[in-house]
Amino acid sequence: MSLLRIVVCVKQVPDVAEIRIDEITHTLIRSGVPSILNPFDEFAVEEALKVRERFGGDVTAISMGPPQAKEALYRCLAMGVDRAILLSDSKFAGADTWATARTLAMTIQKIGFDLVICGMKAVDGETCQVGPQVAELLNIPHVSYVKRLDVNADGASLVAERMTEQGHQVVRSSIPCLLTASKALNFPRLPTIIKQMAARKKTIDIFTAEDIGAQKEQVGLLGSRTHVLKVYTPNLSTGEGKIVSGDDLGSAITQLLELFKKGGITQ
Amino acid sequence: MNSTKSSGVWVVGEQKDGQLAVVTLELLTIGRLIANLLKQELAIIIIGNELEYVVEILREYGANRIVLVSGECVEHFIPEVHSNSIAALIAKDSPSIVLFPATYDGRDVAARLSAKLGVGLAADCTDLTVDEQGRFIQVRPAFGGNLMAVIAQSVATPQLATLRPHIIKPAKSQQKIEPVVEHASAIGLPNLYDKVILKTVREVIEEYGNLDEAEVVIGVGRGLGKIANLKMVNQLATLLEAAVGGSRGVVDAGWLPHNQQIGLTGRVISPKMYLALGISGAVQHLVGVRTAKEIVAINIDANAPIFKVATFGIVGDLTIIVPALIKQLESKISNRGVAASENLT
Repeated sequence: MSLLRIVVCVKQVPDVAEIRIDEITHTLIRSGVPSILNPFDEFAVEEALKVRERFGGDVTAISMGPPQAKEALYRCLAMGVDRAILLSDSKFAGADTWATARTLAMTIQKIGFDLVICGMKAVDGETCQVGPQVAELLNIPHVSYVKRLDVNADGASLVAERMTEQGHQVVRSSIPCLLTASKALNFPRLPTIIKQMAARKKTIDIFTAEDIGAQKEQVGLLGSRTHVLKVYTPNLSTGEGKIVSGDDLGSAITQLLELFKKGGITQ
Repeated sequence: MNSTKSSGVWVVGEQKDGQLAVVTLELLTIGRLIANLLKQELAIIIIGNELEYVVEILREYGANRIVLVSGECVEHFIPEVHSNSIAALIAKDSPSIVLFPATYDGRDVAARLSAKLGVGLAADCTDLTVDEQGRFIQVRPAFGGNLMAVIAQSVATPQLATLRPHIIKPAKSQQKIEPVVEHASAIGLPNLYDKVILKTVREVIEEYGNLDEAEVVIGVGRGLGKIANLKMVNQLATLLEAAVGGSRGVVDAGWLPHNQQIGLTGRVISPKMYLALGISGAVQHLVGVRTAKEIVAINIDANAPIFKVATFGIVGDLTIIVPALIKQLESKISNRGVAASENLT
């Protein structure tokens, strides 16, 4: 049995639940919004640690982001990963999913890997794209939306359950392989305060574009294929709704049935 | 690839077990609009076996070409096989735009394809159009639907996008276009790795419906009170042909499977109507239903935040309101039955 080299890709994200819209300017209020480790990445880290506990090997967490993104990596170290790498370089800034995937794939290629685990999506961008893109760039198979994982005893293949709209698929894949973790996969451990403090004393390796052998046209804004022309806040149907009391049950139901009919839901 | 040579708007449809996903027709509808704006042809790619049935359905939606991709390797869905097969078609014909459904499978295929070809991909779009400069424009939500981003892509083609289901209404084409039906072979996995689908299990759909496909979604929260109350919810769902999902609290309590969780750490859905039962309306949940056309809420707490976003709301006890609603719907159906049989005599 070989020891598995596991790489987990993580992202620091704003706590989306804390984001508010300025009702006058209709812009996003981001000040005071805490940054967190993307919740789906916690499932990825947890699964990597579980595989390591069974098979031995090592877990490396990598993240692309500004220097502040170290916080997310400290969280991974506190959970128990062996090594953390922050991909931080002004050349990386402004990356779309393709440029991000390329940067991550070049890094993973450089440090070596058997298993790569990502969260199924980041809660800020919500694209679900980066994982499969990294897999394609590494020329390995992937299984997305994983809700259950069994690595075979020989460490050469795995069986994963992949969520689908209808239920799930049971997939067997050779290793190397990339997985994207869903929430159903596990219960991430909560690092103790002592572990969190100990993590802060550990070193986070900083990699630049040069360290991973990337030209500036390959990464960041210059390497991106999509460009945001503008952003706006959508009109949400706030305060326009008609709210009635259920005390007058007959009337409430009649209005609801009317609405079903109007919407073409019932005849 | 050279963008000046590429032409054609392609739509990659979705079908499973002899059933065409509705989003396929939605993609064709918007694909036809974009193709008209760009004065290009529209093609649809369907992957699977025994696909003859789709031709009749697709015929009226304005595609110039219907390309059916079949082979032993597409018996089960494998994203690498789909992306390889589509890449081979793209290499032959150089389309300018390829659209996919923003479903579990569609996102997987589009992502691999974008990385393989080194082209852009806009995910989970809620609108697609062409601007006055003739650029393909994508609009997509970010930050939990708090923000909409308007996106254009570099000249590398094809430009890719995935479209969320239910955003547009499928419409048959006004133009009389007789599509050419073509057949292509699927391309299997690269030799360097091995991947096998051991089985495909359809469990959720029978019990709770498909959250992405259903026009009506009923969401339940902890306000449902107890798991036994799911029985009446399922009854209502049957009457409305609705899918059933729930808040994180309900899923964590084990009342519903993970797959049915709606919200930040679950699914993001865009049904015609979202019927929120006993859902308080925490931001984490609301981000999953922002793009629903209508939100109807029933909750006992008049101050529940769900009422702030609801288009219609009833403040009251859902264990009284839901059974009353079921009774009304059932009597309407049986009345219709009576009326229909009277017509016969």
